[in-house]
Amino acid sequence: MIKSTTRKLHLLSSLVLISFALLTLLISGCSNRVKQYTNPEINIIDVQKVAVLPLDNLTSHKYADKKIVGVLIMDLLSRGIDVIEPGEVNATLRIRRVQSSTSLPVTTIKEIGESLKVDAVIFGSVSTFEMQKGITVSYPEASIYLTMIDVRSGDIIWSAWHTSGGASFWTRHFGSEGATLDETARVVVKEVFDTLF
Amino acid sequence: MLILRKLVLVNVVLILFYISGCSSANYATYHKSQDIDFSFIKKVAVMPLKNLTDEDSAGEIVRQLIISELLASGLVDVEVPGEVLSAVNDLGIKSLTTLTNQQIIAIGKYLKVQAVIIGSVQEYGHVRFGSISAPEVTISLFMADTGTGDIIWSVTKTRGGASFMTRHFGAKSDTMSETVLTVVREAIDTLAEY
Repeated sequence: MIKSTTRKLHLLSSLVLISFALLTLLISGCSNRVKQYTNPEINIIDVQKVAVLPLDNLTSHKYADKKIVGVLIMDLLSRGIDVIEPGEVNATLRIRRVQSSTSLPVTTIKEIGESLKVDAVIFGSVSTFEMQKGITVSYPEASIYLTMIDVRSGDIIWSAWHTSGGASFWTRHFGSEGATLDETARVVVKEVFDTLF
Repeated sequence: MLILRKLVLVNVVLILFYISGCSSANYATYHKSQDIDFSFIKKVAVMPLKNLTDEDSAGEIVRQLIISELLASGLVDVEVPGEVLSAVNDLGIKSLTTLTNQQIIAIGKYLKVQAVIIGSVQEYGHVRFGSISAPEVTISLFMADTGTGDIIWSVTKTRGGASFMTRHFGAKSDTMSETVLTVVREAIDTLAEY
């Protein structure tokens, strides 16, 4: 009798152990740390005023670039960085007939920066901005590529590519409401700037 | 006996954990010239990639990711993409994805880079496995020495499909962006092995 009870207890503890391991595995997933480059020769504290150039839109979402630019500007301002008004930036780009910010040579970037009287310009692209259909649920996904160029030297100050999104454990298994696409966009921008400021 | 059984159970769980990991189908082949000292390469130019997929922006997405990962790795400096485009225009190069030795040497002299990276994106999209769809990415990259125009490094990397844990236990599957990030990061890592 005692032997049977002990065996049951052992079986139960084994089951608990297995369940715990599986649960940990399911909850954890794979984390995605931001890997970025920061120029060691430039002090980021010197960057007080920046211009955010229009991003290249590599997604099928018509306004993904404009939405992300808005989030970038909001985030930079909240960190105490001065940002040039987008209208001013667009006017300067129109004068120089710039089509794509990622295809600008360094001399043009420097001219734009000097004309706008900023310390650095940020350009890049949005590669993903959409709701994806997963195995059982839909989830938001946003990915951005950003580069900051020093206006004086023309050197790259900082560069990063980052993504955020995917279905959380609670969304996958319990159908709880996940983050929206706009919330995910804010997260990807916050996480990428957290590496810099 | 009971302790032994418990140990076996724990080991089975751990083996499952290690087998499944964070990766699914994941293959890489790469080559590096043994007679080249890679430490002489200080700056590279990443050329636009040939896009062999239905996704219009796949080539540019992967190219920007390569630039970001190369810079973040600290291995080499990377030429600003706009400068590369200027060089191509000024040198009158028509096809960016099929460069001759002479064009590679000319780009090196113009941009003052020791190597150029060229390549292609072969797969970029979702594939279906029965009722499940999962991201799949395949890239091929080559590095050419701008002194001679010779290929000194090449890598083909693919990743995709739903993992065992995703298919059967609903574990988190990689998004498209996470898949392409892993593919590029692992391809660049093979360059770091010198």
